[in-house]
Amino acid sequence: MFEKSLTDLIQGLRANKRNEADYIQKSLEEIQSEVQQSDMYCKSTAIDKLNYLHMLGYDTNWANFNAVEVMASPRFGEKRKGYLAAAQSFHQETDVLMLATNLIRKDLASSNAMEVSVALDGLAQVATPELATDLFDDVAAVLGHSRPFIRKKALVCLYRLVLKHPEGLHALAPQLRERLDDPDPSVVSSAVSVICELARTNPHNYLPLAPRLYQLMNSSTNNWMLIKIVKLFASLTPIEPRLAKKLHGPLSQLICSTSAMSLLYECIHTAVVGDIIGVPLPVTDSVGREIDFAELCARKLVLFYESADHNLRYVGLVTLAQLQARRPELVVNQYETVLKCLDDPDLSIRMRALSVISGMATRRTLDRTVKRLMSQLILSNTIRLQPVASLPSVGTTEYSCKYNGDAADSDLIALATDATGASLVSARGSIVQSRQLTAAGPGPADSPEYRLLVVEAIVDMCTRQSYANLSNFEWYVAVLVDLVYSAGVDVGQLLSEKLLDVTVRVRQVREFSVRLMRQMLSDSQLASRAISGSSAAKVLCTAAYILGEYCSLLPANSEDIALLLPKCLDKLDGEQQATFIQAAIKAYTNWLRDVAGYWSTEIWELVRAVTASTMSQLSDLLLAKTDDNALSGNSAVAELPLQVSSRLRHFVEITKAVSVATSNPSESAPQLCLELHELFTAYELNPVSVAAQGKVPQPDGLDLDSPIGGPIPDTEHIMFPPPPPVSSEPRQRASQSGSGRKQRRGQKNEPFYLDGGDDVRHSHSLAELPDVDDIPVVQLDLGGQGSENATKTRSKKKKTRTKDGAAKRERRRRVQTPSPPLAPVDIAGDEDMPDVSAPLPQPQSQQTSPAQQ
Amino acid sequence: MSIKYIFLVSRQGKLRLAKWYTTLTPKEKSKTIKEVSQIVLARRPKQCNFIEHRDTKVVYRKYASLYFIAGIDLDDNELLTLEIIHRYVEVLDRSFGNVCELDLIFHFQKAYFILDEMVMAGELQESGKGTVTRVLAQMDEAEDKENAERGWADINLEGVAKTAMLTVQEFKQSFSR
Repeated sequence: MFEKSLTDLIQGLRANKRNEADYIQKSLEEIQSEVQQSDMYCKSTAIDKLNYLHMLGYDTNWANFNAVEVMASPRFGEKRKGYLAAAQSFHQETDVLMLATNLIRKDLASSNAMEVSVALDGLAQVATPELATDLFDDVAAVLGHSRPFIRKKALVCLYRLVLKHPEGLHALAPQLRERLDDPDPSVVSSAVSVICELARTNPHNYLPLAPRLYQLMNSSTNNWMLIKIVKLFASLTPIEPRLAKKLHGPLSQLICSTSAMSLLYECIHTAVVGDIIGVPLPVTDSVGREIDFAELCARKLVLFYESADHNLRYVGLVTLAQLQARRPELVVNQYETVLKCLDDPDLSIRMRALSVISGMATRRTLDRTVKRLMSQLILSNTIRLQPVASLPSVGTTEYSCKYNGDAADSDLIALATDATGASLVSARGSIVQSRQLTAAGPGPADSPEYRLLVVEAIVDMCTRQSYANLSNFEWYVAVLVDLVYSAGVDVGQLLSEKLLDVTVRVRQVREFSVRLMRQMLSDSQLASRAISGSSAAKVLCTAAYILGEYCSLLPANSEDIALLLPKCLDKLDGEQQATFIQAAIKAYTNWLRDVAGYWSTEIWELVRAVTASTMSQLSDLLLAKTDDNALSGNSAVAELPLQVSSRLRHFVEITKAVSVATSNPSESAPQLCLELHELFTAYELNPVSVAAQGKVPQPDGLDLDSPIGGPIPDTEHIMFPPPPPVSSEPRQRASQSGSGRKQRRGQKNEPFYLDGGDDVRHSHSLAELPDVDDIPVVQLDLGGQGSENATKTRSKKKKTRTKDGAAKRERRRRVQTPSPPLAPVDIAGDEDMPDVSAPLPQPQSQQTSPAQQ
Repeated sequence: MSIKYIFLVSRQGKLRLAKWYTTLTPKEKSKTIKEVSQIVLARRPKQCNFIEHRDTKVVYRKYASLYFIAGIDLDDNELLTLEIIHRYVEVLDRSFGNVCELDLIFHFQKAYFILDEMVMAGELQESGKGTVTRVLAQMDEAEDKENAERGWADINLEGVAKTAMLTVQEFKQSFSR
C-alpha cells in the first residue's frame, strides 16, 4: 500500500539531483524487498521501476527471475511490463530464459491477440539459439492468425528466430511466398522487408519470388514498401542479369515520376549497384527526349548534391561515388560541384566529396585538386605555419620561382590566403609548425581523421597507376615534402615510402629530390621533433638514405657529413641510427672522391681537417653511451644497438685508413680517396618489378614442388604405449604430436636451440617408419650384449601393448595423413636415431608391417 | 533498412530510451551509446544528419530538446531511416497529445510500446499511423480495465458500502460519475 509508484520514483530522482546515487541505492533496496512480495501488483510496479533504473545504467540482472514471474501474470498490463523488462535487460547469457520457454509458448497460443502480440515482441527481442529452436514451430503456427497485426509480427519474429536458428529457413521460405499474397497490405510489406533482409545474404533462394515482387512493384503505391522492393531487386539483379532488362522500364519510370527523395535515392542506388544502367535501352526523360539511363541517373543526382539540404547532399555524394566506380566518364563533368562540396563545413560531406574527387583525378585536374587540399591542411586552425626568417636555404629560390612564384613574399597571411599550397617549403626554406587554437575552435579541417584521409587521397591521386596522373615529378616531390610539414598527423611512414619510391624509380627527379632532402635534414625545427617512432624521424631517416645514396648527383659538400651525423641521432631507434651512419659513410667517401679530382695542398689540409673532425664526432658517438653507463654504473642495459656500433666501427676504420693515407702532404691524391666510394657504387641499385622473378626461366630438372627430405617420423608410440582407447583419443593424440613435432622442427633451426636429450629422443616413432626392414641399420652387427639387453626391455614393454595394440595402431594410422615413403636417410636417423633403432628386434618390424599394408 | 539500434538522449546527454535490435553485451551497448551520443551532441545544426561510426551509419534528428538516434547498416537508406524516426515522433505526438520530454520520462514504457508496434527486429513493420494508435489504444484499454477491476477487488466493498449506507452498485456509480 505504501510503496513508491513509478511516478514517485522518477519525481524523487528529479528532486534529489544532488545525491542521486544515495537515492537510487535506497530505492534499489526497497525494490529488492518489493519484488519478493507475493502481491503481483506490487511486484510488477517494482519491475517497472527497475526498468527505469536499468535505462539509467544500473545493473538489474538480479531481478531477472522476478521479471519472468511478472511475465507469467494473468493480467495483460502486468504481463506487458514483464515482457518489457525481459526485452530490455535480458541478454544471451541470461539463464532464466530457459524458464521462460513454456511461458512464451503458452502466450503464443493464447486466444487473446494482445497477449500473442506482446509475446512475439518479447521473443523477437530476447531470442537465443535455444529459444529459437524450441519456439520456431509455435511462432510459425501463429502465421495463420486472423488478426493481420499478429501475422505481420509473427513474420518478423520468425526472421529474427531464423537468424539464431538457420535450420528454420527451409520452413520459412514457403511461408514468406504465401504472405506476399496476403490480403492485408502491411503484412505484404513486412514479408517484403523480411525477404529483403534475407536476400542480402543469400539472394539465390529468393529469385523465384521475383515475378510476384515485380508485380507488386508495378501495382503498389506505398513508398515504404516500394523502397524495400527496389532494394531487394538490388540484391537479386547481380545473380540474374535478365532482371536488369525487365526492371529497366519500371525503374526509370519511378525515377522520372516520384517526388519522394528517399524513393528516388533508392531507385538510383539500385540502378547503379544492380548495373541496370548498363542495359542498352534508351529512356524518355520528362521533356520527351531519349537519353541513356545512366545519364538520367546522373542528372537526377544533381538534384541531390546541389540541394541546400545537407542530408541530400550527403546521400548524393554517396551515390555519385558508386556511379563513379561504374561509369567514371559521367562523373567527370561534375568536377566543379564536387570541388565546392570539399569546402563544406560538415565533415561527413567533406569526407564523401574527398572520396569522389580523388577518384576524379586526371592529368588536367590533379594540380588544382591537390592545391585545394593542401590549402585546407595549411589553413586549419590548429596547425599554424610560420616561416622562419633566417635559414640556410640551399638553392631553393630558383625552385620557388619555378613552382611557386607568387608566394615569394614574406607575408605569411598573403601566402596562406594565396592558398597555392604546394611548394611552400621550397619557397620558404622551412616552415615552423606550432599548435595554436584560435577562438573559432577546431574546424572540420582540424579533425585528425580528415587530415589523414586528405594526405592519403593526395598521395593516392598522384601515384595511381604508376604515376599516370603526374606530369611533373619535381612538383610531386615538393608536395610530399610540404606534407611532411603540414600534415599534422602521423603519416611519416607513408610519406617516406613514397619519397623513396619516386626517387628510386624516377631518375630525372633524383637530383631535385636530393636537394630537398638535404634541406629537410638541415632544418633544426624538424630535427627537434625527431624522436624514435615519430613521424618526423621516419621521414628524416628516409631523407638521410636518399642523400647518402644519391649524393654524387650534387656537387659534393663536406657539410653533408655533419648533416648526416646530427645531434638528434641518439633519440632515434637503432635501425634509423644505422641508416644515418651508413649514409654518412657514403657522403664522406663521395666527398673524398670529389676533392681528389682537384687535389692540392689546401685540399690536403681540408681532407685532414674534415677527417679529423669526423673521427672525433664518431668517437663521441661511440663513447657517449659508454660514459653514460660508467656514470650510472649500469652498463648492461644501455648499449649501442649491434648494427649501430658495427657501422660506427666501420666508419672509424675508414677514417683511420684515410688519415693514414693522407699523413704526408703529397702532390697527387692518394688512390684510396679515389676508390673508397666504389664500395657503394660498384653496382647500381635498381628498382625491381614484383613480377621480375617470373621472367627468369626455370632450369630443366628443377622440381620446386617436392619437399626436400621427408617429415621426421614419430617414435612416441613405441616408447610410450598409448593409454587405453577412448573413442576420440587417437585423433587428439595424433594432432597433438603433430603440432609438437612441427614446433620442435622449428626450434631445431634456431641456433640457440639445444637439441635436448630424452624429450626429443622419445618423440621419434619407430612404428611410423614405413619400411623398417629397409633400414640398413638393422643389418649392423653391434655385437652381443647391448642388443640383448635392449630386447629384454622391449619384450617386457610389448606385453602390455599387444592386446589392443593392432586395432589401436590401425585407428591411429587412419587419422594420420599418408606420408610419402621415407628413404632411410639421416634426417630420420640423425644422432639420436641409431640407439633406438639398432636394437630393434625382428618381431617388432613384423608386427608393424601388416598394419601398414 | 535493418535498424541496429534506436535510442533517445536529451541535450544533457541523459538516455531516455534505448532499444537494441542486434545482440550485444551490456558493455558494448553502453560504450556505443556513450560514443555515439557524444558525437551527435557535438554536431552543429547546419550539419547533415548522418555520421559514420565504426561499421554503422548513425542517423539522428533533433526534436526540441531530444535527439532521436538510429544506427543502420552502411548500405541502408539514410533518408528512409529519417522518415521512420519522424513517423515515430508523429505517433508519439498523437498518443500523448503534443508530446514533450517529460511525457517520455514519466511514461517511458508507453514510448517503448509504441516503438514495438512500429519497429520490430529492426524492421519497420507498420507504417500506418492509424493502425499503430488503434492497437495501442486497445492494449491500454485492456490494462485500464484490469486496473479498475483490481481497484475494487482490493477494497472491502461490502464494508465500505455499508458504512456509506449504499448498495455496492450505487457506491461504484458514485465514483464513475
